[in-house]
Amino acid sequence: MSAYVLQQILNGLTLGSLYALVAIGFSMIYSIVRLINFAHGDIAMVGAFATLGLVAVDAPWPLTIATVLLTGGLAGITIEAVVFRSMRGAPQVTGFIATLAVSVVIQNTGIMIFSGQPRNFLFPSVMRERVALGPVTISLTDITIVTMTIVLLAILLILVKRTRLGIGMRAAAENLQVARLMGININRTIMAAFALGSAMAAIAGLMWGGRFGQIDPLFGFIPGLKAFVASVIGGVGSLGGAVLGGYVLGLSEVLFVGLMPSEYSGYRDAFVFFLLILILLVLPNGLLGRSAEERA
Amino acid sequence: MLEVSDLHVARGATHVLKGASLELRAGEIVALIGGNGAGKTTTLLTISGLLRPRAGRITFRAEDGAAHDLAKLGAEQIVRAGIVHCPEGRQVFASLSVAENLKAGAYTRKDRDGVRADLSWVYELFPILAERRQQMAGKLSGGEQMMLSIARALLARPRVLLLDEPSLGLAPQAVETIFEIIEQLNGRGVTILLVEQNAQMALEIANRGYVLQNGAIANTGTGRDLAADPNVKKAYLGMTQ
Amino acid sequence: MANPHTAARLGPAQEAGTWASKLPGLILLVAGAVVIAAMQVYFNDYILTLASIVLLNVMLATSLSLTNGLTGLFSLGHPAFMTVGGYVAAILTYPARRKGFMMPDLPESVAVQEWSLLPSLLAGGLGAVVLALLVGFPVLRLRGHYLAVATLGLIIIVKTLVNNLDGYTRGGLGLNGLPQLTNLWWVYGWTALTVWACWRIKHSSLGRAMMAIRENEMAASCMGISVVRVRMTAFVLGAFFAGIAGGLMAHLITVITPGTYSILLAFNLIVMIVIGGTGSLTGAVVAAIGLSLLSEFLRPVEEAIELYGMSQVILALMLLLMLIYRPRGLFGSSEPRWRWPVWGKRQ
Repeated sequence: MSAYVLQQILNGLTLGSLYALVAIGFSMIYSIVRLINFAHGDIAMVGAFATLGLVAVDAPWPLTIATVLLTGGLAGITIEAVVFRSMRGAPQVTGFIATLAVSVVIQNTGIMIFSGQPRNFLFPSVMRERVALGPVTISLTDITIVTMTIVLLAILLILVKRTRLGIGMRAAAENLQVARLMGININRTIMAAFALGSAMAAIAGLMWGGRFGQIDPLFGFIPGLKAFVASVIGGVGSLGGAVLGGYVLGLSEVLFVGLMPSEYSGYRDAFVFFLLILILLVLPNGLLGRSAEERA
Repeated sequence: MLEVSDLHVARGATHVLKGASLELRAGEIVALIGGNGAGKTTTLLTISGLLRPRAGRITFRAEDGAAHDLAKLGAEQIVRAGIVHCPEGRQVFASLSVAENLKAGAYTRKDRDGVRADLSWVYELFPILAERRQQMAGKLSGGEQMMLSIARALLARPRVLLLDEPSLGLAPQAVETIFEIIEQLNGRGVTILLVEQNAQMALEIANRGYVLQNGAIANTGTGRDLAADPNVKKAYLGMTQ
Repeated sequence: MANPHTAARLGPAQEAGTWASKLPGLILLVAGAVVIAAMQVYFNDYILTLASIVLLNVMLATSLSLTNGLTGLFSLGHPAFMTVGGYVAAILTYPARRKGFMMPDLPESVAVQEWSLLPSLLAGGLGAVVLALLVGFPVLRLRGHYLAVATLGLIIIVKTLVNNLDGYTRGGLGLNGLPQLTNLWWVYGWTALTVWACWRIKHSSLGRAMMAIRENEMAASCMGISVVRVRMTAFVLGAFFAGIAGGLMAHLITVITPGTYSILLAFNLIVMIVIGGTGSLTGAVVAAIGLSLLSEFLRPVEEAIELYGMSQVILALMLLLMLIYRPRGLFGSSEPRWRWPVWGKRQ
C-alpha cells in the first residue's frame, strides 16, 4: 500500500475518532429515549468555546479538560430536563422538531454572544509538529486525539459493562418498562446517559477545534449530523456500533476525498449523506444493530 | 398484607378494571384467574406501579406495621418495599448475559453479601442458569428464560411476588418444574399472587383464588372450592359437567 | 342548474349547484386583489417586497402542510426543491449574452435561451418535480425521523452539488443581478393558486386518502389506498410548489446561492406549520403571515441592540413552548368552524 494511502488512513482514523466520540453519545441517548438529539453536535461547539475561554485565562490543560467534560455534561442534563423530559410521551416527530429547535437556540445564542465570525483555535504550536512514522507522518494533535478517544471510550466501556449504572442504562435501553420493574430509576438513568454522552461530545468539540484550527457557533451542526450518520452505519442505539460507524465513516470520507480525483473533493458532504440514505435503505439496522425499528 | 380496594384502571381509552378488590395475606399463594382481557395483567401492572389507577387504593402493610398506598408510589419505591413483579412473556433483557440480568434484578439492593448469597441460592435452584451464566439471555430457550425471569425477580428479595402467566408457552415438563419452584418459594415465606390462564394448575397450588371477569371480581374462595365450582369449571377448566 | 347527484352529496347548509359554493372563494380572491392593487399604489417598495416575502412563506407553508401535515410525511426537503427550482428558473431568465460566459458548461441550446418569468418558473417547478420523483422512491420508504433526516441530507446533497457544478451554476459565487421579474401580483397569483389547490386537495378523496395514511397506514392500505402512490403524490406536489416559490424568490431578491435556501429555512417553515397546527391550511396561512411579520419586526430590534440571532432564538422558543403546552398548534389539523358556512362543508 502506498505511503499516500497509508497517510489517508491515518487521517481517517483521526477523523473517525472524533466521529466515534460524538456518535457514542448519540447512541447512548437514543438507545434509551429513542429520540435523535439534534443539539448533540452543538454541544461539541459549546465544548470548543468553553475551551477557548479557559485557555484565555491560562487554565492548565487537565483543568480545562475536566471543565469541558463537566460543561458538556451539564449542558446535556439541562437539555434533557427542559426539553426531552416533556417530550417523553410524544410522537417521534414532535421530539425531533423539539431537538431541532434546541439546536437553533444554542447556535443562535452562540451567535448572539460570540458573533458568527470564525475564531482561531490553536493548540500550542508543538502540537502541530509532525512526527515521522515510517513512510508517513502524523502530528501530535492527531496522536492526542486518537489516544484520548481510546482512553475515553475505554472508560465508557467499563462504566457501561461493569457498573450498576451501566447495567441500568443497558436494561433501560432494552426494555424501559421492565427496567422500571427492577426498581431502576428511569429519570436518573436518562440523566446519566445525557450527561455522559454530552460530555463526550464536548471533548470531541475541543479536539475538533484543535484539529481544524477554527471554530464558529455553527460549526457543530453538520459534524453532529455526520456523527448521526456514523451511528446509523454502526447501528443506531448500539454503542459498539457507534464507535465502529464512527471509524468507518471517518475512513470512508477521507479515502473518498483522497482517492477520488481532486475535482470531486468538494462532494465529501454529499457523499456522506448519500451514504446515509443508502444505509437506511439497504441495511437499516446498521452493521451491528439489533432489533428492528420502524425505518423502512 | 396487600389489599386492593375498588380499583379502577384505564389503559388508553378502555376502562379495564372496574372496581376490582382483592386481598393477599402473608404467606399465601393467591391465584387470579379469568379470561383474556379480563384485566389480570392490568391488575399486576397497577400494583407494581407501571400503571396508575383512576380510583381505588392499594394498601401494603409491611412487617413494621406501616401502611403504604402503592397507588401513590413510583415503581422504584414499590420494588424497594419488597413487591416484585415478574412480567408476562418472560421479558428478559436479551442483550444482557444471564448474570447481568440477575444483577439487574438486584439493582435496588445495597447489601453485597446478601446479593452474593442470593445469587448462589438462585444458581442452586436453577442449575441451568448457573451453566449458562455468561450467555446472552436472548439465546436461552423459553423455559430457561422463564426461570431467569423468576430468578431475576428473586434477586430483589421480594416479600410479595407477582407472577404473570409463568406457564405461558412452556412445555408441560417445564410448567411442572416452574410450579414446583413456586411452591418452594412459598415455603420460604414469599407471598405469591399468581395470574394464570392455566386455571387448573393455579388453583391446585393456591390457598385462595379470585375470578376476574370484565374488570371486576366475580367469585372468590379457597383453591379447592373454586376448582370444584361448576361455573368456574365450565368457564375456565374446560369441563362441561 | 342543480346537478341532482352533487346536490344529494352536499349538505343542506349549502346551496346545491357550483356557482354558489365557489362564490365565497371568488370574493376572497377579488378582495385580495383589491388589497394588492391598493398596496401597489400607496406603499413603498420595502413594504411591497415584505408583502411578497410574507406571501411566499404562505405558499411554502401551505404546500408543506400538504406533505407533512396532511399525509404525515416528515419532510424537511423544501429548501432543496427551492434551490433546484430557483436555479433552473434563474439560469433560464439569465441574459443570454452573459450566460455563456458566466456558466461555461451549459450546453449551447440552453445558453442561447432567455425566457420570461412564467415558463422559467414552470421549468423550475418541473425540475423540482423530477428531483422529488428521483429521490422519493427510495427515500419515502423511510418513516418518522429517519425520513426527516434523509430529507435534511437531501438539502446538503443539493447544496453540495450546486456548489460544485460551478460550470453550470457559478458554484459558491451564486448568481446575482437576476432580473427582478417578480412582483406582488405574481406572488399573489401563485400563492392564491397554491392555497386553492391545497384546499381542494384536502377536501377531495385524495386528501382523505392522505389523512387516512397519516392516521394508520396499514388500515389505509387495507381500504385499498395505494400508500406508495399517495405519499409520492404528496411529496411531489409539495416539491412543485416549493420549486416555484424558489424561482419567485430568486427573482424577487435577484440573488441565488447554494446556501440561500437552508436548513434554517426548513426549520422556520416547520415552526410555522407546527404553530398553525400541522394539517390545518388556515393555520399554515395564519402562522406564516404572523411569524414572517414577527421576524421582520424583530430584525431592526436585533440590529439595534446588536444581538444578531435573537429573532431566530425567539421563534425557536415559541416552537418549544407550543410543543410542550399545545402540541396540536393553534388550529389542530382542522379548519376553524366558522369557515364551514362560508365555504360549505365539502363531502
